[in-house]
Amino acid sequence: MEFGFSAAEQAFADEVRAFLRDNPLDRFPLDGMDAGYGSGAHSRAFMKALGERGWISMCWPESFGGRAEPMFFKLVLFEELALAGAPFGPLAGSWQTADAIIDYGTERLRREVLPAIARGEATFWQGYSEPDAGSDLLALKTEARRDGDHYVIRGHKIWSSHAGIATHGLVFTRTSREARRSRGFSMFVVPNGTPGMDIRPIRSLTGGVYHYEVFLDDVRVPVELMLGPEGEGFQALLNGLDSDRFWGRFYKAPALERVLRRLVDHANATGASADAGLRRRLAAMAAELAALRVLFYRAACLLRDGAPITYETAVAKIYADETGQKLARLGMDLLGPWAPLRPGSHEARVDGEISHAYLTSLGHTIAGGTAEVLRTTVAVRGLGLPAEPRKA
Amino acid sequence: MDFRPSSAQQLLVSTAREFLKKHCPPERAQQIALDSRGFDETLWGRMAELGWQGLLIPPDLGGSGGSLLDVIVLVEEMGRASTPGPFVPSAVVATALLLAAGSADHKKRLLPAMATGETIVSVALDDAGNTLVLDARGRLRGRALFVESAHVAHALIVAADAGDDRRVVLLPADRRGVERRPLDAIGPEKLFEVACDGVSVVAEEWLEPATARRVALQAGALARTAEMVGAAQRVLELAVEHAKTRVQGGRPIGGHQAIQHACADLVRDVDASRGLLYAAAWRASEGAAPAADVAMAKAYASEACLAVARRGHQIFGAIGYCEEHPLHLLHKRILAASMDCGDVATHLEQIARAIGLRA
Repeated sequence: MEFGFSAAEQAFADEVRAFLRDNPLDRFPLDGMDAGYGSGAHSRAFMKALGERGWISMCWPESFGGRAEPMFFKLVLFEELALAGAPFGPLAGSWQTADAIIDYGTERLRREVLPAIARGEATFWQGYSEPDAGSDLLALKTEARRDGDHYVIRGHKIWSSHAGIATHGLVFTRTSREARRSRGFSMFVVPNGTPGMDIRPIRSLTGGVYHYEVFLDDVRVPVELMLGPEGEGFQALLNGLDSDRFWGRFYKAPALERVLRRLVDHANATGASADAGLRRRLAAMAAELAALRVLFYRAACLLRDGAPITYETAVAKIYADETGQKLARLGMDLLGPWAPLRPGSHEARVDGEISHAYLTSLGHTIAGGTAEVLRTTVAVRGLGLPAEPRKA
Repeated sequence: MDFRPSSAQQLLVSTAREFLKKHCPPERAQQIALDSRGFDETLWGRMAELGWQGLLIPPDLGGSGGSLLDVIVLVEEMGRASTPGPFVPSAVVATALLLAAGSADHKKRLLPAMATGETIVSVALDDAGNTLVLDARGRLRGRALFVESAHVAHALIVAADAGDDRRVVLLPADRRGVERRPLDAIGPEKLFEVACDGVSVVAEEWLEPATARRVALQAGALARTAEMVGAAQRVLELAVEHAKTRVQGGRPIGGHQAIQHACADLVRDVDASRGLLYAAAWRASEGAAPAADVAMAKAYASEACLAVARRGHQIFGAIGYCEEHPLHLLHKRILAASMDCGDVATHLEQIARAIGLRA
């Protein structure tokens, strides 16, 4: 056992910290709402800055323009950026898309899209959910029909984060009817602005726009923009699921530590820190965040070593999302009558960040697999409990 | 970063599991727990033959010079098997304390015999209920509470007030004026009041108090956490096995989401507790443990492992309410461990200070 970071990893962490010192965050305008404790916002300027440092592509093979750095460099980067509250919302999606393109993308995707990801210019929205396909993703109805050297996509996607400001959609479609429920699905990388694509904002309970719905009305997409083997899209999605859950959620442990630090500062400044009950709640939260980090580190080691994962990323995701809600709730209690003030409001405390986290964290236990679906996954895949009978 | 135990640690764990399955099966653990003396000399002797009591002790003092992390993975197995006996107070807390704060003479006199299991040392460092006062003439008066396995101990390490100072002293358990009175707790651990009525203590029996308390609390808190994690792991295994085999309404109860989701929470609680424990023990073994790591591990596991035991009762239903079922012993072990070497409130306050909360 060994629970420290290597010298190279620590040196890289120093490099990231130096970058953050030299580049104050107010230099990077935000163009998409945050729903991730200050780090979920979309900022083209910040993504480009990461691209300039070579940090988006640093773990790719050299033949794809990367530096073949070990996976833990990504972990270190996430950690340092989240501790600083930097806006890197699209980064996990960029990494996941790039990995898929490197693994099984067409020449065209490798030539056109990969370098744009590396520069921080290309960011992605996920076109998975549909009005009638949420937790039951395979119930989706969006179809892609082959027409010569194109596919023609028709359907309706919803709950796609940052879709209106990203550059491409990852649109999950049905390409054929198969006897097996999980076959016949394919993924496409569809550039925003393709004729027939209509992206409409969904105003959220915060008053801001994070999600979009996307209407696809006979959108013609060249065959080369299909990502992965035709008809095997669901398997590809499943194969990437653990990695997806990991990179989509890991940042929350350090991001929540930043929020906790702000709450501690606030408690000290107002004298609330002397309250015995509050001290215990804040201290218990610090221990929970340490526990959360350890669960993610373990999942990271399994991913790095290519070891089998049955439930470890699912447990970490559930815990991250529920702990975030708990921390936001604690923050509201701490702020008392000031708690409901919005970011930017006159008299708002902790920059109104807590009320925003309180609201946005409500979505975390729903997005990317609800806490209920994931607990079933842990029980069935991880513990071998019998699956509930499913209707065909 | 690497979560895998070393091959030596894996061997230690598999040996311990086999050994405890054979020499301390659940029925035996029950028997000893229900017996009022509750000490199995044969088992204690066999453990010593395997070198367990000497694991923390350096080779030149008769031990095998293992790390705190090695001891932690071993104690986890003992927690899993509900192994009774004074291992944690004697072979972990008193041993670590003597190594860090004992004189050369203390070490030479006690540690080799502790390594072979011949000598057992119990500790009374907890402030709760402790009224011991050491006066200027070297007389010890008052009492300490919750002293585990004092009845089989050959020596005691106790904390006492000495005017403005806090002293930690080592004395033979049978010294004139020392009386050991049993407390009757719900759990398998044998707790005692140690009363001192003018017991004479000489300066050679003083231990450096600050180091003694810090080291004892750290080693003890980690060992108690390891017990909780091992016991909670066992509750999880038993609960999952029960959920798979207990059939009601034509199917295993584990096929229902209500039970599945409960089991998923047990996994989180056990895994997170173990992760914090190993990380804290590793840092302590490396010699650089900020106290907050240990406090976080103990505070977290105390809540999480107790939640596992309590949820386990709900999953087991009526059968878990019986004395013959192993669940209550595991539960009581967790409960007792959560109180010893600093309860949740104590550790949370330590964390509160470490994260910078002003008093």
